[in-house]
Amino acid sequence: MSEPTPSPAPSEPENQPQASLPTTKVARAARFAKTGLKVGANYVKHYAKRAAGAEVSPEDLHAANAAELYGALSEMKGSVLKVAQMLAMEKNILPAAYAEQFAQAQYQTPPLSGPLVVKAFRDAFGQSPYELFDAFEPQARQAASIGQVHFARKDGRALAVKVQYPGVADSIRSDIRLVKPIALRVLGLDEATVRPYLQEVETRLMEETDYALELRRGQHIAAQCAHLLHLEFPRYYPELSGARILTMDWLGGQHLREFLATEPSQQVRNQLGQALWDFYMHQLHTLRQVHADPHPGNFLLRADAGGTVGVLDFGCVKEIPAEVHRLFTALLAPETLEDESRLAALLEEAGVLRPHDAPALRQLYLRTLHDSLALVGRPFRQPTFDFGDPGFMQALYALGDDLMQQPELRQQREPRGSEHFIYLNRTYVGLYALLTELKARVRTGDASDTAE
Amino acid sequence: MEKDRIKQAYLDYVLRHNQPPASVYQLTQQLDLPETEFYRFYPTFAAIDRELWADFGRDARNRAAQEPVWAEYGAREKLLAFYFTLLEILKQNRSYALQSLHRSMPSVPGFTPRVLDDFRQDFETFVADLLREGRLSEEVASRPLVQEQYPRAFWQQVLFVLGFFAKDESLNFERTDAAVEKAVTLSFDLVGRNTFDSALDLARFLIQSARRG
Repeated sequence: MSEPTPSPAPSEPENQPQASLPTTKVARAARFAKTGLKVGANYVKHYAKRAAGAEVSPEDLHAANAAELYGALSEMKGSVLKVAQMLAMEKNILPAAYAEQFAQAQYQTPPLSGPLVVKAFRDAFGQSPYELFDAFEPQARQAASIGQVHFARKDGRALAVKVQYPGVADSIRSDIRLVKPIALRVLGLDEATVRPYLQEVETRLMEETDYALELRRGQHIAAQCAHLLHLEFPRYYPELSGARILTMDWLGGQHLREFLATEPSQQVRNQLGQALWDFYMHQLHTLRQVHADPHPGNFLLRADAGGTVGVLDFGCVKEIPAEVHRLFTALLAPETLEDESRLAALLEEAGVLRPHDAPALRQLYLRTLHDSLALVGRPFRQPTFDFGDPGFMQALYALGDDLMQQPELRQQREPRGSEHFIYLNRTYVGLYALLTELKARVRTGDASDTAE
Repeated sequence: MEKDRIKQAYLDYVLRHNQPPASVYQLTQQLDLPETEFYRFYPTFAAIDRELWADFGRDARNRAAQEPVWAEYGAREKLLAFYFTLLEILKQNRSYALQSLHRSMPSVPGFTPRVLDDFRQDFETFVADLLREGRLSEEVASRPLVQEQYPRAFWQQVLFVLGFFAKDESLNFERTDAAVEKAVTLSFDLVGRNTFDSALDLARFLIQSARRG
């Protein structure tokens, strides 16, 4: 993980009025985002803590603008949150307090009615789900990001059937088109500088609506990871799937929070953590194609066989170009941290440092990135790493806060670094958050060896 | 049956020429029928148009009711199932539907195209039944006086849905599905027990108290 983005503001930050941000508004923002929360519990804990504890830096945004933005966003909910979510992925684009909250907001499509589910099946198969399956529950078991999951049975198998809300792809596209200019103006960003990032996020969001793609990727990654221990992937059923319907095995297990409530032993937690770690390292370094949405809702945990992880939802998969993979790996290598000129060269290559940066700023970047990389790369530099160490995640978050507190960095509105890093960052943050929550001890040291 | 043959021939003609035949004679000649035969069934072409639309509505209601889960549906879901089935049927007849609507479009928005007159009558009966059923299941709040107007309000919803469908440019008209889903949810939120009833209840209470005091 890197913090590639702070950069000097070409705009004049000193012009911005420094009115104080009404705290009630922020509190409301937090509450709002919390209620809309569909994502996993441990994210909530971290972010809620931060929203309550972390200082809101009002200088970050023109206060009125921030309030206005929040007001608009909360009113428009579903549609706009998608864009907010995009913006939130780059922490430098939105002020931290907002960003962390919005990052949690899934697109909130209302539940599909029974008749609409039937219609989706008729469109896809010319049959109603009651004809297609031996049994089909009309009430959805859970909400998926852009649809919902039904429980069904066929030929004695328990199946999970994901049904997508109609027209989602269309509305994502038009929402982005509608909201992007407003959001950019309110935040004082320049369209051209953030375009690659927005495009990257938009592409991923659009891919999430393509269930045919998800099916192929799910099958592919499952096949490529079949040799990894203690992992379980659902089988997909192409003949029961379509563009808006995806049928797969119903996996047993519990989501992270419920699972932890059963007080699994340290051994089980270690094995689960190891399975997750191996899964991600294999994807990152060998497949170069990664399940880029490691939030707790996408994993089902079980204690059998000493701990088994079920992996769901291949809607968000990031393919890592070879060049980016090389850079990313090199940045995390221990040698890089010890050699400042090597670090500088790599960062320049990644577009984080630029040749015309003022020396003071360059130093600042180097220092903060050195610290971030040292922290993020820490698990790699030890043969085993204890994610149960509460100091580690705290240090990670504290680092983020520190970065936001530095006036020079805070005023940087222009994002930097490769757009490919967005999802790589998200993957690492998500993985670390999962492992921390599991308090797992993981053999991490050999990760660089498996990197081909 | 002669009547069906005439109806089908008329539909084919409109689809092929994008307008009704110039005269009844032209159509009956094509069918090798004496012109009088036509008038035994229909006074005008417009009557066939109305009947075709009424057929769409009836087919939609019948087909929706054949769904095995129909009996488990509440009033809201039954209305949704009706709309989705209707849209399925209209998708198969979209060219004719758009053409006939366009031909009889009233100049004032919100008014019903004449071609929908028969369809409308059936629909309002259907909705009135649904709402009665909904009141029994308490899905729909009982509001004497106001509720007499509900079928007309729901008719406006049909016009909205048809208008949306006519202008929808999304693949497979998915946006129309979403529009239906949202419009029906809203309408049932409105006719269900809600803030309005509580406000009315309070107002009534205050008025009664004032009288007493």
